[in-house]
Amino acid sequence: MQLLVNALIAGSLAALIAGGLAVVYGVLGVFNLALGQLALIGGYTTWWLYQVLHLPLGLSIILGLACGALVTWVTFEIAVRPFFKHHRFLPLVTTIAWSMILDGLILLVFEERPRSILPGLKHIYEFSGIRISLEQGLLILATLVILLSFAYVFHRTSLGRRIRAVVQHEHAALSLGVPAGLLHGFLFVLSGVFAAAGGIFIGIDQSLTPTLAFPLTIKAYAAIIAGGKGNLWGAILFAYVIALLEQLLVGVHWFGAFYVPAGYQQTVALLFIIVILLIKPAGFFGNSSRTA
Amino acid sequence: MSILRISHLSLSLGGQQILDGINFNVEEGEVIGVIGPNGSGKTTLFNVLSGFLKPSHGTIHFCDKDITSYSASERARLGIGRVFQNFGIFRDMTLEENVLVALEALPKERRKALGNIKEVVKGTLAMVGLSQFAKRKAGSLSGGQMRLLEIARTLKAEKQLFLLDEPTAGVSPKMTSQIADLISELKREKKTVLIVEHDLPFISKICDRVIVLDVGKIVLTGKPQEVKQSKELQEIYFGANPAD
Repeated sequence: MQLLVNALIAGSLAALIAGGLAVVYGVLGVFNLALGQLALIGGYTTWWLYQVLHLPLGLSIILGLACGALVTWVTFEIAVRPFFKHHRFLPLVTTIAWSMILDGLILLVFEERPRSILPGLKHIYEFSGIRISLEQGLLILATLVILLSFAYVFHRTSLGRRIRAVVQHEHAALSLGVPAGLLHGFLFVLSGVFAAAGGIFIGIDQSLTPTLAFPLTIKAYAAIIAGGKGNLWGAILFAYVIALLEQLLVGVHWFGAFYVPAGYQQTVALLFIIVILLIKPAGFFGNSSRTA
Repeated sequence: MSILRISHLSLSLGGQQILDGINFNVEEGEVIGVIGPNGSGKTTLFNVLSGFLKPSHGTIHFCDKDITSYSASERARLGIGRVFQNFGIFRDMTLEENVLVALEALPKERRKALGNIKEVVKGTLAMVGLSQFAKRKAGSLSGGQMRLLEIARTLKAEKQLFLLDEPTAGVSPKMTSQIADLISELKREKKTVLIVEHDLPFISKICDRVIVLDVGKIVLTGKPQEVKQSKELQEIYFGANPAD
């Protein structure tokens, strides 16, 4: 049961990042390999504002999200917009280059040591042997609120209909007067805000280190590959599935003989990508189900 | 009054001349058929007129406004509507949502003038006999029904100029006749229509004028009956000596 709760916590963080990414991938069909770095920028900025400048936590989080949005917009203008119309795989290369620049900047500004937004302030509760901190409970709740709000906008509002129209047939949407170019930028920045929220969650629940960026990106992509191109709900579901598999791998006493070292946890997402591409290349909800 | 003026329009892609010095005017309320063999540049011409491709040379004037540099969505908001050869519908959205997207994309004042938007959606689906499928996903419709939905949606989006790319492709004869009725309705409402089509009897029945394209150039233009009987058209489609 504790494994399930741990998976719910880790999955909530991954679901946020993968959800935003699924919509962007569905609309633009491009890969943003700087996503993990954008998550860290949100987290580190919040840490700096709260721990160094001693601003209130709520304000630090809002400014952390705003900084994530700003850097994502710069990423879009520099590494994506000039290239994706020529070939949708070009941003694969440009965002890798951009991610390396961001890696260097993160190291330079925030250094290598772990940074925690709330160090030593966890309020642990125990119910029938399951341990969960107040902060973790709030993070799960916040994820639920963010995803449900996004779902409402997506399926019940005019903006959501336009986004889905662009995802499903961009030329038809354009020919009806839907400003797809504006929506591209808006969605890309929104995915960055979701990633920044994920980075802030890591900084609150655990601690931030510059090496976290790549595993975050890979987990998000494993979820959207399994979910099917641009399928928001598929990506969110598989973000939780991957988190559960990670917890099972390192949390179970295998054959009563050994534990898998925690360092191998990161391999789950990579193995997951390989297995899904072999058995279900279009993902589990590709084409046949509701797309983002 | 010419609603559309196309002057010296050329497009080259990858070193290949796709459109070559296209010139023609379209009068308000005219229905024009654009025909020609595969690869003659018909759909490319529509893509340039819709704003999906930028011409290498030439200008496009719509309602006396130079729209050559306008984006596709800006042209749509000015009143140019497009129906796609490969069904431009949103398959994972319901029929109601498909119509709603078109209405909600209208400029504010035009959207307000429509009145109750839900009633307009109902009326649009009723017009093409699809009311009973309102809550279904558009992807579950037959090819003909998808086409009717697309035309009806574009019609209600208050366009002045309609670009219909092979509206009868993959559609049953009954549906083809329904589509012809819809186009006649447009004609009655003094809307201007350009149709790319391979079905010559269909073109002859509903068009005022026909333009024939071959290798990116206009090679023939005239009334449907004149064009249909012309020797040039036979040569374009069947070669110089069809008997051989």
